[in-house]
Amino acid sequence: MITTDKTVALKTVKLPESFSRISWSLLIIGIILTLLSFAVNPKHASFGLIMTLAFVASVGIGSLFWVGIEYVSSAVWSTALRRPFEFIAGVIPFLIVIAIPLLLKMHTVFEWTRKSLLKTDPALVIKAPYLNEPFFIVRTLVVFGIWWLFYYLIIKNSKLQDTTRDPKLTARNVRLSAAFMPIFGITLTIFSIDWMMSLTPDWFSTVFGVYFFSGAVLAAMAFATLLIVKLNERNLFPVKLTADHYYNLGAFLFAFVNFWAYIGFSQFMLQWYGNLTVETAWYIPRMHGSWAVISIALVLVHFIIPFFALLTKPAKMNPHRLVFMSVWILFAHALDIYWIVMPVYDPGGATFGLSELAFLIASAGIILTVFSYKAKSNNLVPVGDPKLQRGLEFHI
Amino acid sequence: MRVLIQHIILVQNMSEIQRIPPSGRRLYGITAIFDNPDKVLSATKAATQEGYKDFDVYSPYPIHGLDNAMKLKPSRIGVVTLVLAMIGVVSILLFTWWTNSVNYPLIIGGKPYFAWPSYIPITFEMAVLFGAVSTVISLIAIWLGLPRNSHPLHDTEFMKKVSSDRFGVCVEATDPKFDEKQTMDFLQRLGGENVELAYYEVHELSLRKAVLDPKFVGAMVIVAVASSGATYFSLNKMLLMRPWSSLNNQFKVLPESRSTFYADGFAMRPPVEGTVARGHMPYIFSGNMPSAEKYMKNPLLPTPRVMEVGQRDFNTYCSPCHGYFGDGDSRLQGQFPSPPSLHSDTLRHAPDGHFYQVMTDGFQNVMPSYARQIPRDERWAIVWYIRALQRAEHAKGSDVK
Amino acid sequence: MEVVDYSKAPPLIEGNPTLGHIDDSIAVPMEKRPSKKYFAALSITLTMLLIGAVALGYTFYYGIGMWGNNIPVGWAFDITNFVFWIGIGHAGTLISAILFLFRQRWRTGIARFAEAMTIFAVMCAGLFPLIHLGRPWYAAFVFPYPNQHGIWINFNSPLVWDVFAVSTYFTVSLMFWYIGLIPDLASMRDRTTNKFKKAVYSVLSLGWRFSNKHWQHYEKTYVILAGLATPLVLSVHSIVSFDFAVSILPGWHTTIFPPYFVAGAIFSGFAMVMTVLIIVRKVFDLEYIITKKHLDKMAKIILVTSMMVAYAYLMEPFIAWYSGNAVDWFVVVSRATGHYAVGFWMMVACNVFIPQLFWFKKIRSSIPALFIISLLVNVGMWLERYIIIVTSLYRDFLPSAWHIYTPTIFDFGILIGSFGLFFTLVLLFSRTLPVISMSEVKGVVEGAHPTHHIGAEHE
Repeated sequence: MITTDKTVALKTVKLPESFSRISWSLLIIGIILTLLSFAVNPKHASFGLIMTLAFVASVGIGSLFWVGIEYVSSAVWSTALRRPFEFIAGVIPFLIVIAIPLLLKMHTVFEWTRKSLLKTDPALVIKAPYLNEPFFIVRTLVVFGIWWLFYYLIIKNSKLQDTTRDPKLTARNVRLSAAFMPIFGITLTIFSIDWMMSLTPDWFSTVFGVYFFSGAVLAAMAFATLLIVKLNERNLFPVKLTADHYYNLGAFLFAFVNFWAYIGFSQFMLQWYGNLTVETAWYIPRMHGSWAVISIALVLVHFIIPFFALLTKPAKMNPHRLVFMSVWILFAHALDIYWIVMPVYDPGGATFGLSELAFLIASAGIILTVFSYKAKSNNLVPVGDPKLQRGLEFHI
Repeated sequence: MRVLIQHIILVQNMSEIQRIPPSGRRLYGITAIFDNPDKVLSATKAATQEGYKDFDVYSPYPIHGLDNAMKLKPSRIGVVTLVLAMIGVVSILLFTWWTNSVNYPLIIGGKPYFAWPSYIPITFEMAVLFGAVSTVISLIAIWLGLPRNSHPLHDTEFMKKVSSDRFGVCVEATDPKFDEKQTMDFLQRLGGENVELAYYEVHELSLRKAVLDPKFVGAMVIVAVASSGATYFSLNKMLLMRPWSSLNNQFKVLPESRSTFYADGFAMRPPVEGTVARGHMPYIFSGNMPSAEKYMKNPLLPTPRVMEVGQRDFNTYCSPCHGYFGDGDSRLQGQFPSPPSLHSDTLRHAPDGHFYQVMTDGFQNVMPSYARQIPRDERWAIVWYIRALQRAEHAKGSDVK
Repeated sequence: MEVVDYSKAPPLIEGNPTLGHIDDSIAVPMEKRPSKKYFAALSITLTMLLIGAVALGYTFYYGIGMWGNNIPVGWAFDITNFVFWIGIGHAGTLISAILFLFRQRWRTGIARFAEAMTIFAVMCAGLFPLIHLGRPWYAAFVFPYPNQHGIWINFNSPLVWDVFAVSTYFTVSLMFWYIGLIPDLASMRDRTTNKFKKAVYSVLSLGWRFSNKHWQHYEKTYVILAGLATPLVLSVHSIVSFDFAVSILPGWHTTIFPPYFVAGAIFSGFAMVMTVLIIVRKVFDLEYIITKKHLDKMAKIILVTSMMVAYAYLMEPFIAWYSGNAVDWFVVVSRATGHYAVGFWMMVACNVFIPQLFWFKKIRSSIPALFIISLLVNVGMWLERYIIIVTSLYRDFLPSAWHIYTPTIFDFGILIGSFGLFFTLVLLFSRTLPVISMSEVKGVVEGAHPTHHIGAEHE
């Protein structure tokens, strides 16, 4: 057995109490707002909760994807940064909690659950073997179950390595992650089709899963970047990260901003060009009235502005820029989900109310609370990982 | 080709050549060879510390950390890329907008004239093309000052070594701290081997000599003759040959020739028996002037458009014999008998059907039928025009109103 | 189970050779007289090229009626070959640009060759739309230039996008390749004793001097070009996919086409690079630079892209069914059971099932297995384009217009000719230019960089 011969110098750090206090209060305010919104307008609130679910799920599963990718590709630069990703992925077990109210009241949001519609829409009859309530619930449970299983197994090995320092655990995680990748692709697609595409049951797009993937991994990277850079700048990270680590974080943000634009444009352009009624029906409400403003804003906020903000090398290495752009990109991802979900609720015009507010606060609250909880009880860097020393010595 | 390159080099070197002393040898600098990257890095740091500015490090591959040791500023070449890529974006967007919606607007696939989503792929490509080409050209021409094949370090033992497996430092004579003796000592102290002086080579000084080189002139003449010959051949000969002849040779029957495809030698197939031509209307009054006069009425109204058509057709078909005003003043100079005037009383009072019948059937073996040349409605339009002419010749006072 | 030491970076080159040895071994093919085997190989590829030239001559003289294309199958072998070769070309830029940005330094050993293959493959690819014009001497019409007709090209047409994309791609790839070649050409200039070669190398190397002031800008430019080439490579195959996807033909009009085509292109391109490199490393004794680890990593990338392609294979029928559109579903069924079903299932086998063998380390480290699988992947990817194009066309919307497409010998002749062109160029390249980047490989040898400097740069 090979053990690491170099030991890494670690600072002992403790997250400030204020961090956990803010997280908890955000979570509680979020929950209260969600409950309030349900009291005011249950339908609106249900759509709001779908957004929360989509956001939290995308950040959570996106983080697990980054953890897996690190193992599969034997990347070293991110080893020291892996824990924040793991902590954020800790939201995965709670996804079902967010989903339960929606699963109980599917009629409020999912049009295809209405039996009366089956008579008028022949396409829905064809889809019925897939789009029906029991199968939907089973799929959701299976998808969340699979995510939770891989989360549990990968994180367990990673944590165990902190004490045993056994490199075999890395090898085991490499194989687990390799198995996870294709399953991740399929489950994420199912999730996106079920929870977002089927909101407009007639509409379809083969690339939708990839579109959601691009936003999800981008948001996960942004969330982790935000926390990592912030902690490191405040001297709260146990190891010293260099500008080179920052550069890679910034580069990945930049890359996926572009990837998102590429997929989003492909989907839009092909359906716009094909001009088939059933396809353009999804874009038409989004291109008229106040939704058109949101659509234009989405292109600016999610692509053009981050593109120029992160274009140069110094920008990717600048901690202030990175923190600001991470928050910006998270907001952009929330806007993206809003743009996907809410025009179904009100095709007439953009809405903003209690539900949207609840969505923003609750999403941030859930993820931050899970992070602060995990960060308290775990090492902030994988101290037993054999790649850690190389990761710290990483330079571009 | 080589001569051509030398020209470029000479032009670049003109400024340096002018400063060459009459002795013909001018010092470029002092070179030293180092064994490994560690040594060359420490030598670089020492040289920077010593205050040398005009020196350079030579290595077979870029070595990490040298830029900092030499205190080089970060390369700004990215600015060129960004600016030119943006110019590419703006110019192609303007271009697509102008061509497809201003200069040659066409609606395609029910899309608006300026169908911006369709232009994004090209816009992207142009951004990349402008950015990449400009970066490479400016790198070579501006930042590197290449191509330049007559540098003093070329063809030296020093260059042979640094292009393969050694590392070198060259302190240039232009450095204010440069001193032949001191600098040599300094480099030797740092552990440099093969410390040598590098001189400019001063052969091929004259630009004129290279231009008037018979080989060069000869090559230019050959290129000129060959390219003009090739152009002449391709434009005047080749394009008339198969397959470039652009459908000049087709499997078709030319006028006045026999078809080899059909046994009967005709190219056109006769229509199936009983075929009725599109728009065909049987004419029942053929040869029956009284009925034509009696039963037919002009179906058209004398609208300006009808009069216009009538005038046009009258001038085309009727006027050669009947004259522009129907006076019977033929322009055919007696090759054909001149017809009577259309303004005779008989004709003025003849019914519309009379004229129509004449045009359709022909008249007394003198005027042929015009039914094939002039469609039905246009014949009626001509009738209106004749009426107008008749009225014009016999205008009444009330017509002035 | 083999235990990997994760705490140490694996060496990129085996045997820790000296810098001079790297030069020597890479320069060998350029300095030695080629062996008989080389001429034998060259005569085979030239024969293939000749077959292609004859078939092309017939096509030009009599027109493209010599091919099997007929309405409704207006696109067949020509466009299949075009997409196939463009796809092959993608691996080169991927290896040289994307892996460069990801700092996958193992790429140095294979980048040059892959880039050259890109250029040759794009040349082969460009041939097909050109000859599909029927009268290729009018090809200038596809470019927007002011003309006496007073008309402009239609920028809404994906075929025009193709012209822009492929020509940009070719230009940028060529520049990228050339920029990488400059230092090596300069090395060759200083190495060679032959006067003529020296003149050629001098001109081509532009008088490169290995100066650090130059290296600095050179490296920056290389990064910028890589940064531009990376989205470019994605865009090119995306635009190729737009040729199909912007139509509303069932089987073509589907939004996953752009990323799916890109993944497929990388997939086939890597397979082709692997096929060629397995031969090259053997023939030129470069096994210490193009190691088994390289092949292992390439096999993994092939596996990953195979699964991306498989994802698209899953999504297409699923959404065709989910859409409730009878025509879409009909095409899915007709692909799997219709006249071209054998081709379809061969495609699925070669592209999805067989590459799954790369999950096993044993297969990834067996050269014959890698060689055979890489060949099969290429067959599969060629079939994929053929199936996509022909099966969507041959059953037109009107059953009265249905028509089974069968290629003629001229179709096959031109296909063989394109392989002949490609491999002839590859063979000529391997003898005239350094097939591996000397300067880059030198930069990844152990001890190539100052030891005490690591991390000092950014303090």
